[in-house]
Amino acid sequence: MAFVELQNVTYKYPLTKTPALQNINLQINEGEFVAVIGPNGAGKSTLCYALAGFVPHFFKGEISGTIEVAGKESGKSTLDEWVLNVGLAFQNPFNQISGAKYTVFEEIAFGLENIGVPREEMKSRVEDAMALTGIRDLADRSPYSLSGGQQQRVALTSILVMQPKLLVLDEPTSQMDPIGTREVFGTIRKMAEDGMTVVLVEHKMEWIAQFADRVVALKDGSVLLEGKPSEVLTSDLLAENGFGISRYTSTAREAKKRGLWKKENLPVTLDEAVAGFKL
Amino acid sequence: MHERLSFHMKRNSVIHRLNPLTKLVLILALILISFTSPWYWTPHFVLLLAIIPLSALGGVFPEFFKTATRLILPAASFLFLMQAFFQPIGEDVIFKFYFLDITQESLMFAFRNAMRVFVMVSAFTLFLLTTHPSELMSDLTRRGLPPQFAYVIISTLQILPQMQAKAQTIIAAQRSRGLDTESTFFKRAGSVVPLVGPLVFGSLVEVEERAIAIEARGFTSKHSKTSLHEIPDPSFDKVIRWVLLALVILSIAANLWLA
Repeated sequence: MAFVELQNVTYKYPLTKTPALQNINLQINEGEFVAVIGPNGAGKSTLCYALAGFVPHFFKGEISGTIEVAGKESGKSTLDEWVLNVGLAFQNPFNQISGAKYTVFEEIAFGLENIGVPREEMKSRVEDAMALTGIRDLADRSPYSLSGGQQQRVALTSILVMQPKLLVLDEPTSQMDPIGTREVFGTIRKMAEDGMTVVLVEHKMEWIAQFADRVVALKDGSVLLEGKPSEVLTSDLLAENGFGISRYTSTAREAKKRGLWKKENLPVTLDEAVAGFKL
Repeated sequence: MHERLSFHMKRNSVIHRLNPLTKLVLILALILISFTSPWYWTPHFVLLLAIIPLSALGGVFPEFFKTATRLILPAASFLFLMQAFFQPIGEDVIFKFYFLDITQESLMFAFRNAMRVFVMVSAFTLFLLTTHPSELMSDLTRRGLPPQFAYVIISTLQILPQMQAKAQTIIAAQRSRGLDTESTFFKRAGSVVPLVGPLVFGSLVEVEERAIAIEARGFTSKHSKTSLHEIPDPSFDKVIRWVLLALVILSIAANLWLA
C-alpha cells in the first residue's frame, strides 16, 4: 500500500454541476516529490484541498472514492486530526498570515501552540524551521510588513515547523524572485530526501524538471498524464491541451520539425537545451 | 501603511511588568470605585492620586497626557456643560441663559459625572498604553477564555489597518479610472458604492482562505494549547487583585449602606 493513495475520487463542490475532480487514482510513495501541473480550472487546488482534508471536511459537497494518507482514511477522520499528518500551504501568502501574532517568530509558533507543543521544544523547532527556509533575520518583524515573497516563506515555514508527513504546496513560490524560488525548491527537495512526502502544484516547468520525481498532469479534473518529468513535460499532449510548457521544449519541438534537433528527447531546462543544440 | 492598531508603548516599567489580568482588575476597580463610592470627591482623587501617578510610574505620562487633553477632556467638558444646563435639580440658580439654568446642585452633579467618565476613559487609556494586546489575550486564554474569542479580538486589531490600506488602494484604482471623490456631497456619496463591493466581497473571500490557513495549523485541535511566551503571575499580583476586589466591595457596600 502506497503512502498516499487516492482511489476513484470524484468530488463536486456544493452548488456546482460539474465535478472538480473526476475519478482520480493516484499512488504516492513515502519521500516522493510529486509535481502537479494543469491549466486553470483543472482541479489542481481542489486536489490539494482533498489531500489536506479540506475537501470534503471544510468545503462539504459530494465526494466518492477513498483518500488515504499514512494508512488513515480521510472520510473516517476529522479535520483537526488530519492536519497533524498533512500540511498545506497555498498561493496567497497574505491570507495565510494568522493575524493573531505580532512577529514572524510568534506567527510560526502559532501552529505549535495550537497543538500543544511544550515551550522549549517550540522555540527550538521554530528556530530550526526558520534556519531551513532562510528567514532567521525576519524573526522580529511584523508578518504584515513583509514583501509577498517573504510572506510566502513565512507561510511555508509555518507549515514545515509542524513537521507533517505529507506536505501539500499550492504554488508556494508564485511571488518569489528566481533566486528565492531556487532556494525554496532546494529546501523542499531536501525535505523529500529526508523522508517527507511532497505534493507541489507549480507552473514553472524548468523547476519541476530539476526537482520533482514525478509529474501528474491534470485536465478537467482528471489525470491526463503521469510519469517522469522528462517524459511528461515534453509530451505533445501537453501543448495540445493548453498546458503551459517550457520555452526550451517548444523551441526544440519547432527545431525538431526543421531537423535542427537531433536528440530523441525534447529538453525542459536550459542546460538540456544547450546540450541538445550542441550536437 | 503597516501601522498596527494598538496604543501599546514598549517600556520596561513596573506597570508593564504587572500581569495583564492584574492591570485589568486594577482599572476596573478604579472605575467601579469612582462610580459607586458615596463620597463626592472619589473620582477626582482616583484621577489625581491613582491614574496620573500610575501613568508616570509606567513611563507613559507624555502619551497619556496627550490622549487625556486632546481626546478625553473635550468629551468630558461637553458632558459637563450638557449636564450642568439640563439637569433640572436644585433651587439656587447661579447662572441663567434664556430658559437654561445652572444651579449649584446641577453644577456639582455635572462635575462629578464628567469626572467619572474622565476616570473611566483615562483608566482604559492607561491600560492600553501599558498592556500588549497579545499578552493580555494569551494570559486570558490560559485562564479559560475561549481561544476563538481571543483570536477575533487580536486579528481584528491587526487586520483593520490592512483593510484600511486596501480601501486606499481601491480608491486610488477607481480614481485613476475617473471616479469622482472630490466634488459635491452626493457625488462623493455615490462613489462609495464601487468601493464597498471590492472591499466587502474581497474580504469575504479572504475570510475563507484565512479559515483554511489557521485550520491547517491546528487551530481547532483538541490538544490543550501551549503558549510561546510565559506570562508571569507572581503572588504579589494575586495579592493586589484581592485587595482591589476588597476595595470595590467596600465601596459598593458603603454606597448601599448610606443610600
